[in-house]
Amino acid sequence: MNIKGTLDSYRKKEFKPSEFIDGILNAISKKNPSLNAFLEVRPEESRGKALELDRRLNEIDHLPLFGIPIAVKDNFLVRGWRATAGSRILANYESPYSATSVERLEAAGAIVVGKTNCDEFAMGSSNENSAFGPAKNPWDLQRVPGGSSGGSAAALAAGLCLGSLGTDTGGSIRQPASLCGLVGLKPSYGRVSRYGIVAFASSLDQVGPFGHTVWDAARILEIMAGYDSKDATSSRTVVPKYTEALANASVKNIAIGIDQKWLEGLDEEVRRAFDKALQGLREKGAKIVDISLPHACYSLSVYYLIAPCEASSNLARYDGVHYGHRTKHPKDSEEVFFKSRGEGFGTEVKLRIMLGTYALSAGYYDAFYLKANQVRKLIQKDFEDAFQLCHCIAVPTSPTTAFKLGERTEDPLTMYLSDIYTLPVNLAGLPGVSLPCGLDSKNLPIGLQLIGKNFEESSLLQVAQAYESHRGVFPEPLAVRGGT
Amino acid sequence: MLTREEVLKIAKLARLELTAEEVESYRKKLGRVLEYIHELDSLKTPQDAFVRHVPKDSVAFREDKMIPFPQHAALMKNAPDVEGGSFRLPPVLEES
Repeated sequence: MNIKGTLDSYRKKEFKPSEFIDGILNAISKKNPSLNAFLEVRPEESRGKALELDRRLNEIDHLPLFGIPIAVKDNFLVRGWRATAGSRILANYESPYSATSVERLEAAGAIVVGKTNCDEFAMGSSNENSAFGPAKNPWDLQRVPGGSSGGSAAALAAGLCLGSLGTDTGGSIRQPASLCGLVGLKPSYGRVSRYGIVAFASSLDQVGPFGHTVWDAARILEIMAGYDSKDATSSRTVVPKYTEALANASVKNIAIGIDQKWLEGLDEEVRRAFDKALQGLREKGAKIVDISLPHACYSLSVYYLIAPCEASSNLARYDGVHYGHRTKHPKDSEEVFFKSRGEGFGTEVKLRIMLGTYALSAGYYDAFYLKANQVRKLIQKDFEDAFQLCHCIAVPTSPTTAFKLGERTEDPLTMYLSDIYTLPVNLAGLPGVSLPCGLDSKNLPIGLQLIGKNFEESSLLQVAQAYESHRGVFPEPLAVRGGT
Repeated sequence: MLTREEVLKIAKLARLELTAEEVESYRKKLGRVLEYIHELDSLKTPQDAFVRHVPKDSVAFREDKMIPFPQHAALMKNAPDVEGGSFRLPPVLEES
């Protein structure tokens, strides 16, 4: 099932929104206990909206997401719903308003069916940093769905919604999409409003969709993208009709750049699937050209300075005063700050706050934050130079397929390395999309990442669409076929 | 590698109360990450570090107009402690 097909079924009156949403809600109640993908569902509210749409079928052509069940990462505000961002410190936070992205999807007829699990404050690559236990990968329940938007990926892969929303600061949409066999799109920085999103690292955070197909992701993006007066970083650049651009998608004479050096040391099965995907694109008429991104290898160091610095500043607002957890029986105001934060934040979040605090503290700013920004500029320049030679860049999304729960939790660097192919894209502010390109010998999905020029999501999605058409329908995990 | 005292100093700046076990664990983890990050030290970089964090067209000013936010009550509902429509905290200074 996908968005496009479901819209067709509604048009043909094969079933009504209320019937379809009921099926989704039943599937959630059956499968979520083992997946832990959702942190909150409100069946009555979702059902009420579906019943209302039953009566508005004649408006379907004006509601481009008519009756489409979507799952929303728990760091988005949806009015009246909780927004925990996967943290104890926000465990009881109730959203007073909705994020602009969610508001736009709802206005287009989408129905929020649940809020999804994520790494605390979107910091993580496995969903294991959630204060509410990790979401599991529907392809293998012993494995992680990726992170930080792991719940959004797991919910969609398990058939518990038709599209979902995530945020991507260093790969948090693309990596879980790769690990769960989905399309995951991180738009250009500024393409989608971030109003109503729990901030992590403001020069990197971006909102994006998960879909089963390129068309589905393009449809969600075209609805939520565009200027928002409530987000000063949102762009006024006109939003194209991304789905219309997909109709005649072709890669004939399109140059796709590859940096061979960047691929060194890659897992053999991932490499094989990646090479096969390139071969497919070549057969469709694309030219594969060599490019060089000599500073991309420094992205991990740059990211783990810039993101924690910004996080330490953004998370200063959780002080136990205005909202969120406050320690019991504080003896003075200072104790409110120290104890509320000490009790409310999880292990990884505290690590990153301290890392950022250290790097920004007196005497260290130049050596760390300034230096990281200088290297960030070199990384941006690498991409600018590469795009003189090619239309888009291809690289695997994740160096490995889904790993086992607990496998990378001991050493922070082992976990951080999960994102080596996604981090530079955020540092450069570019759009990137992950789409499934094969299965490994353990029957786990492998992701192909395509990176585009700034604000050229249309041409990026066309290349993705051309590959998807060549690849054919991607299999679904066992959980969808009734195995969970 | 950081010392225990350095970790405590950082935690104090970050307003985080840590347990003794946490101090030791963060000492090791911070040391591990910082050690890795030092790879940047030897890299030659341009002096100009300006990175455009926002799209070129997104910083235009909007009209300076007050827009009421009607969900005031919903905002205050999330406050841990309220008195007379204001946030209540323990005293900052002792009463003399």
